[in-house]
Amino acid sequence: MIITLRLFSVLREAFGTANAEVEVEDGTTGAELVEILALNNEVAAKLKTVIKLAVNDDYVDSDCILKEGDEVALLTPVSGG
Amino acid sequence: MKSWVDISGEELPVAEVHRFLAASEGGGITVFVGTTRKLTDGKITSLLSYEAHITMAHKEMTKLVRLAGEQWPILRAVLLHRTGDVLVGEASVIVGVATAHRAASFEACRYLIDELKKTVQIWKKEIDQDGNGEWIGDEWGTD
Repeated sequence: MIITLRLFSVLREAFGTANAEVEVEDGTTGAELVEILALNNEVAAKLKTVIKLAVNDDYVDSDCILKEGDEVALLTPVSGG
Repeated sequence: MKSWVDISGEELPVAEVHRFLAASEGGGITVFVGTTRKLTDGKITSLLSYEAHITMAHKEMTKLVRLAGEQWPILRAVLLHRTGDVLVGEASVIVGVATAHRAASFEACRYLIDELKKTVQIWKKEIDQDGNGEWIGDEWGTD
């Protein structure tokens, strides 16, 4: 299935894109998605313990099962203000 | 309670914020303006660059204003954040609160800026005078 990945700040720079369509196996969880992304990306690997996931603009638990067409945002600790 | 919440790439309108709050006809107006600081731990910053998950950040800022309104008798509240490059001395965030009396106004304003820094989905990159940049934010819930 295809999901849309949304990346910001340090992860956007690490992956070189703000939006990407990614193909993952049906039943993939949020935590599994982060693991897959961390496999080939040092920055994501370093940050994986602090990444929060949001699906379609709402935070979800890491064991949330992703669905076709989901927009999945990977959020690192915020620093606005 | 009337509120004004926005995330914008434009320069933030400090004077308009004051006018909006004054129209409440309350007796206490507090406005906090967060600006880009030149010196941090001896290092010179030339600008801060902000990036937001706009829809989530707007929703979170709206929620914070609602929560503040549940804790203090707020007549009007403002929460504005800028995105993009913000030069030294320019405003990145404005928090404004109008209430009948000063204590609630100060307290609600402090609450809004403290919570914004902990939870709103906005990130900043510090760019130093040599053009080197560093994203800020190592852990959740800190400011």
